[in-house]
Amino acid sequence: MMKKIISIVFATFILSACYEDTSVTLHEPGVYKGKRDTQTMPAEEREALLKQRFNQVQTDR
Amino acid sequence: MSLLPTAMINKADAAQRRQHSYDEGEITKKRSVCTHCSVGCGVVAEVQNGVWIGQEPSFDHPFNLGSHCAKGASVREHGHGDKRLKYPMKKVAGEWQRISWDQAIDEIGDQMLAIRESAGPDSVYWLGSAKFNNEQAYLFRKFAAFWGSNNVDHQARICHSTTVAGVANTWGFGAMTNSYNDIHNSKCIFIIGANPAEAHPVSLQHILRGKERGGKVIVVDPRFSRTAAHADHYIRIRPGADIPFVWGMIWHMFQNGWEDEQFINQRVYGMDEIRAEVAKWTPDEVERVTGVKEADVFQAAKTMYEHKPGTVVWCMGITQHTVGNSNTRALCILQLVLGNMGVSGGGTNIFRGHDNVQGATDFGVTSNSLPGYYGLSQDAWEHWARVWDVDYNWIASQFDQASYEELNGSPVSPMFTNGITVSRWIDGVLEDPENITQKDILRAMVLWGHAPNSQTRGPEMKAAMEKLDLLVIVDPFPTVSAVMNDRQDNVYLLPAATQFETYGSLTSSNRSVQWREQIMAPLFESLPDHNIIYRFAEKFGFADQLCKHIAVNDGEPLIEDITREYNRGMWACGYTGQTPERLKLQLANLHTFNKTTLKAEGGPCDGEFYGLPWPCWGTAEMKHPGTHILYDTSIPVAEGGSPFRARFGVEREGQNLLAEGSWTAGSEIEDGYPEFTSDMLKELGWWNDLTAEEKAEAEGKNWKTDLSGGIQRVAIKHGCAPYGNAKARAIVWQFPDPVPIHREPLYTPRRDLVAEYPTYEDRRNFYRLPTRYGSIQAQDFSQEFPLIMTSGRLVEYEGGGEETRSNPWLAELQQDMFIEINPADANNAGIRDGRQVWVEGPEGGAVKVMAMVTPRVERGVVFMPFHFGGHYQGEDLKDKYPEGTAPYVRGESCNVVFTYGYDSVTAMQETKVSLCRVRPA
Amino acid sequence: MARMKFLCDAERCIECNACVTACKNEHEVPWGINRRRVVTIDDGIPGEKSISVACMHCTDAPCQAVCPVDCFYTTDDGVVLHDKDICIGCGYCFYACPFGAPQYPQEGAFGARGKMDKCTFCAGGPEPDNSQAELDKYGRNRLAEGKLPLCAEMCSTKALLAGDGDIVADLFRSRVVRRGGRPDTWGWNTAYKD
Repeated sequence: MMKKIISIVFATFILSACYEDTSVTLHEPGVYKGKRDTQTMPAEEREALLKQRFNQVQTDR
Repeated sequence: MSLLPTAMINKADAAQRRQHSYDEGEITKKRSVCTHCSVGCGVVAEVQNGVWIGQEPSFDHPFNLGSHCAKGASVREHGHGDKRLKYPMKKVAGEWQRISWDQAIDEIGDQMLAIRESAGPDSVYWLGSAKFNNEQAYLFRKFAAFWGSNNVDHQARICHSTTVAGVANTWGFGAMTNSYNDIHNSKCIFIIGANPAEAHPVSLQHILRGKERGGKVIVVDPRFSRTAAHADHYIRIRPGADIPFVWGMIWHMFQNGWEDEQFINQRVYGMDEIRAEVAKWTPDEVERVTGVKEADVFQAAKTMYEHKPGTVVWCMGITQHTVGNSNTRALCILQLVLGNMGVSGGGTNIFRGHDNVQGATDFGVTSNSLPGYYGLSQDAWEHWARVWDVDYNWIASQFDQASYEELNGSPVSPMFTNGITVSRWIDGVLEDPENITQKDILRAMVLWGHAPNSQTRGPEMKAAMEKLDLLVIVDPFPTVSAVMNDRQDNVYLLPAATQFETYGSLTSSNRSVQWREQIMAPLFESLPDHNIIYRFAEKFGFADQLCKHIAVNDGEPLIEDITREYNRGMWACGYTGQTPERLKLQLANLHTFNKTTLKAEGGPCDGEFYGLPWPCWGTAEMKHPGTHILYDTSIPVAEGGSPFRARFGVEREGQNLLAEGSWTAGSEIEDGYPEFTSDMLKELGWWNDLTAEEKAEAEGKNWKTDLSGGIQRVAIKHGCAPYGNAKARAIVWQFPDPVPIHREPLYTPRRDLVAEYPTYEDRRNFYRLPTRYGSIQAQDFSQEFPLIMTSGRLVEYEGGGEETRSNPWLAELQQDMFIEINPADANNAGIRDGRQVWVEGPEGGAVKVMAMVTPRVERGVVFMPFHFGGHYQGEDLKDKYPEGTAPYVRGESCNVVFTYGYDSVTAMQETKVSLCRVRPA
Repeated sequence: MARMKFLCDAERCIECNACVTACKNEHEVPWGINRRRVVTIDDGIPGEKSISVACMHCTDAPCQAVCPVDCFYTTDDGVVLHDKDICIGCGYCFYACPFGAPQYPQEGAFGARGKMDKCTFCAGGPEPDNSQAELDKYGRNRLAEGKLPLCAEMCSTKALLAGDGDIVADLFRSRVVRRGGRPDTWGWNTAYKD
């Protein structure tokens, strides 16, 4: 039984080494321990403003 | 923290109000224009308590839509100005001493007046700048006239003088015919001798938009440049072989009947002579001379034929040659053959260099003309004396009263003869006085906004600086002029303010006149250029004449009054309609202009083109919209249309020089016609269209000299162009080469071509100096100096680079002067990438620089950027700068190695072809 | 909620470095620290392409995952920021980052690594919006002013785009449709999962 599990794990390792995994996340992040970032502007208001701004500045006109 | 609680802010203006503010004090927005190149990108500055605290994208601006290149995105650093020249200084016994403005002006002025007494006014050279705004450029030229000399010039001489001469002599005006924005409409974009991706990066926004709309991009250059990286078709060419290449393209066009017959018949003179010359340039001969294979030349020609309208873009790769004027004319002829002129998407889009080099050229900061291309004839002087309201005889009395040249067999005053050019000022100092056609050699040199390292023959320039009695440098930075020589005494540094510390108009490459607001007060003890001009005029005793109709407040001539004065005199190229009021109104309404057509759609400027691109005819009351696209006959003159200019007479050898069967929309004369004069108005029966006041002024005058503007108004009322309606001319019979022909560079490695394609003979007198051609080419330097050497720009730096290398945000990006060399040449010489090498030239100059081994250049060709300075032949000159002013990055100037060679019409310097050898250091 | 993304259009990027100096200008980034830089491949030969690179503000950001002091957080609009007060300058994030974004100022006589610095998408950090503390530690907070990153807003050819990923993708797609060719959203597969 143990042998079988090891061989599966081994096979998975071999297989996974055969193609490039595009995921670069190797382990789960911890919980953020810094200061809380407060936004002065409500999210919806900011979204609308930034959309308008994008169209105003970055488009070919 | 925002200034106010969120709840108090009205949502609509939340973005406006939620400004960053770390100090007390209102934040104001000022609009300026980038000072780094001719695109004319709008700059928005945020200013608080007089400090420039933020830079925002000017997204309403029609030229850049908010965009910048590395230089433009870093202009706020001017607000720091750590490396600036901070107060007037003087070199005494090898040490820099701080002095006051009063002392500086007094001492310099006394010395100049003494030189004037002993050697004449022509022994002081006034070298001005494309960094001036229009008002300063105009005032500077007027100042030089009142000093009494034509020894005045600026950078246009060494960037596009050959374009101005070649293009103006082809069809009337020597300027970009369309605009950057208009390239959106180009179906083919042919770029030769230009690298706009580095020199004019924001222009690439327009070029790539044209490309994305189906335009084909062809790049012809000795280097695979960053522009070439975006081309559909890149063609590598041997430096200095441009005319054979263009003739090679036209050869295929004639061969296949791709020329626009109707256009040529109606609007071009002299094409038959071109056909005869082009016939000699068979594909084999083109390949032999240029190195370009027939298939490439054919493909380029075919692409241009199949994708119309196409535009042609060129820069220094075309202009800076001994045959520069012929190069520019060959490209004009290419567009005439295809009928690509006067149409949106077509034209010759000649990208100028500095932000106001077009304006400084227009305002005559040149040794061969007064403002507005009036020239130096007596008529020209009389015109400007009337505009200035000063006595012509008084101006004449300021000049040297002797004569040194003859015109048609009679002696002519230096007032009417071309002065020495900036490209040759060093010869004005070093040449034997016997050989100079003025009283004496140059004894005092004023470098006012000029980088000496942008000019060739560095070692001789050093010698010239050391020989002068007096050296004066007026600039925001000490510049390389302060350190490249070993003078111990009598060097003065006067701190000038940048254009962000003053205001006024400037003219971008496309002839648009823009208005800058002042962002901040002059830093340290610096003064705006017009204040400094005024101080010198006071010292010389002609300040009252200089500013007779210009208010002066606290030593500062009022900019708006200067604009109004030039509006009264600049009829010949249509700078009369751009009043301060109209320009400021446009500045406040940038968002109303269409970003492709540049036309205001509604709003207070409705129908005007952005910047009222010259010609903007008549008085401001006429409300002419400016001319976006030159020589466009599809719209009336009153709406910005125009034909080719009748500048060269009406007939030659029995052939009609006027247009035939072509006229601008709405013209009452449905054929060609000469330029307008009062007599012509009478003959046409239009004289009574003038008002009584206009008649009084216009009598005996022409469209260029009638100060009432009546002649222009009436001509345009009848749908006619004031300057006439003629053919463009493919041959310029007054030039040394009426038909552009190939001539090998002075320093050519192709000795096999010299006999067939020789340069000119040496000249006795050219802009007051003997000038060598054949005697240099006769020597073979190619054995000892086997590599072709060429030069160009980097995106991070501008011109001589003193300003940009003093900006840490830019300097960090290019820290080493380098030479591009092909891997094969590097291996042959034992050179490794990143190592130091010596580059040695045939005239004795040598520089120590870093090798960049790259296939960007082909075998046998090396390239160096010209922005570096502050090292000299292996030595760092850091300690020679006044304390704290040495730029962050210093390096060798490639022009220490670059050699002799001047265009046959304008004395443009040859910087695109010379020879050198490279060895490990 | 909008999800902020960067996109650099390689067909338009001309390696002019406007993005780099705009960033320096806006945040007064010192010499030696580069929150953004331009990378060129096949320099000097046909096929030469340039891309402007900075922190891409990844989904499930690898920097966040490897940080031993957990100083990273992702804002509601997908911007990855960090708290410099607890950062220890260990350099793990640099090794985890697929874009080489984290930068470290040299501090002290022995040139020890200082606290990590990187692109903030012009969104400051965990200090009150537009406070002096935020400016000093992270630079300006344009998002709080209703503006987008200055690098993109000043891009010479509008190659670099920054904003809500959906709007950025729409604009880019319409550009590709006009000019033909394949849409190359460089870095997106690595950076974004949403």
